[in-house]
Formats: sequence, structure tokens, C-alpha cells
Amino acid sequence: MNEQIRNLSELDRVIHEPGRLMIVALLSAVEKADFLYLLHETGMNKGTLSSHLARLEEAGYVEIAKTFRGKVPQTLLRLTPSGTEAFEKYRRQLKGAL
Amino acid sequence: MTIDELKNRPKFYYNIDGVAELGMGFMMLGWGLIGWLQVRTPADTIWHRMSLIYLGAVLAIIHYGTKAIKEHITYPRTGYVEYRKRDTRWRPGIAAAVIGALIPIALVGARRSHWDLTKFVSLFGLLLTAAYARGVAGWAVRWKWAVVWLMAAGALAIPALPANLVTDAAIHSRFFAINKMVGTLYLLALFYGVLMLVSGGISLWLYIRHTEAPAGETA
Repeated sequence: MNEQIRNLSELDRVIHEPGRLMIVALLSAVEKADFLYLLHETGMNKGTLSSHLARLEEAGYVEIAKTFRGKVPQTLLRLTPSGTEAFEKYRRQLKGAL
Repeated sequence: MTIDELKNRPKFYYNIDGVAELGMGFMMLGWGLIGWLQVRTPADTIWHRMSLIYLGAVLAIIHYGTKAIKEHITYPRTGYVEYRKRDTRWRPGIAAAVIGALIPIALVGARRSHWDLTKFVSLFGLLLTAAYARGVAGWAVRWKWAVVWLMAAGALAIPALPANLVTDAAIHSRFFAINKMVGTLYLLALFYGVLMLVSGGISLWLYIRHTEAPAGETA
């Protein structure tokens, strides 16, 4: 099989999904962000965003912390080191394949 | 949208409410005002003695004002972002030291060559304009280009003002050329300060208008 095609077939499916790619790219540029920020930036609805985050958490790419800002509940999200590594690898593979 | 553009969005999010411009505007206005007063008033007036306290107060207002806007307006409406601590903090320090060392050399060289020193103010203004234009390109807010053009016009027009408008205290001084340059710089800072405050104020007003107030705020 051609090297470039093999690269494409080895892309991380968890990150490759457009919604999750958006989330991971946004989180890769910050220390952490809250659920509301991702909702605003991605334009997804709460249910879709929640399910993507659950998938990313399951893969160990995102860390989710429930906390409070004053008296208001807040969900903070952070890309884990393995999430950062997976995202960088995904970018390299994609670049190599294109 | 490319992945790189997505990665840049949190950076531009910082000014979604106009606070970056409000802070910058307040700082330039504060600095320009105290400098301008020092150029225009005798040396024994309060403006020459209180400048450090005054600038400290300006910085405190910027810090706590920004925090208050973010905490009470921005985070509840469009979300919270914690930025990564940069590991390249020494770079601005080195750049400032190099520029700080180059400026006196350039000034001495320019004076010896009998150049019009206010040209440096134009250059400084155009550099600030270019830096602001870079930010505007990222924010993708079209009306901000009008601010860019006004900044560029100010950078060219203010240094061309008659000398007695810029400084009259030192008009017969042998340091007149330097004083005129400093006076022009303060005047440009005042102009940019007002411009940034108006631009940031409009951004904040538009942001509040176009985002939903949190549930606790609505009637």
C-alpha cells in the first residue's frame, strides 16, 4: 500500500471527527476553557458537545472537572498530555498524507 | 476554517468584549496625559511629582477593570478561557532592552544629521498601527479597519502640527528638537488613547447587545 494512503488509514478516528477536531484544536491553544466557551465557539448544541466531550474523555484526551465560579456551576476542560500528543500526531499524519 | 485558524481563535477571544483595546486606550491616555501636562506646566507643579503614583493608579484601574468586565460580563455570556503561561516571557524583555539601547543612539545620530526628530514619532505611530492591523486581521471585524486608517492618519498628521501646538515651554531651549519630539509623542499617545477607548467601548457595547445575558441578569 502507498505510504501516504497508509498514513490516512492510520489517522486517529477519535480526533478525525470534525466536531471533536474543533474541540481538540481549540483546547490545544489554551490551558483550560469551560463548556460555555466551547459551546459558543463551536456552535454545537449542548447534547452534541457533551457526547463529543464524553468520547474524548473516554479516550483519555480531555480532562473534565466540575467546579464552581462563585455560586455558578462550571465545567472546566483541559487537553491531557496524551491528547496533545495525539493531536500533534494527527496533524503530522494529515500533513504527510496531503 | 483551517486547524491553525481554529488554534488562533482563543487568542482573539481575549478582545471579543473590547477589553484589550480599553486597557490599551486607558494606558495610552493616562501616559499621554501626564506627559503632556509635564511638558506644558512648570517643573514645580504637582504633575511633575505625582507621576509614579498616577501611573500606578492607572495600571491598577486597568487590571481591576479588566478583571471586573471579564468576571461579570464576558465569562457568564460566552465562557471562560485560561491562557497558557508562555515560556517565552524573556523575549519581550530582551526586545525592550535592545530597543531601549537603540533609541538614544538613533536620537543622537539624528540630531547630528539635523533630521526632523518628529519623523521618529511618525515611525513609532506607524509601527503601532501595523501591530494593531495584525490584530484586526485576526478579529475579522470589518469596521475596525477604520480605526487602523485613523491611526495611520494620526501618525502622519500629528508630527506635522505647528511647533507651538506641541510645546511652547521649551521653544527657545537648545533641546527644542527633543522636546518637540517628546511633546508630539505625548499628543499621539493621547490621540491613540481616545481612539482605542472609543473602539473598545463600541466593541463592548456591541458584545453586550449581541450576546445573551445570563439567566440571573434577566428580568
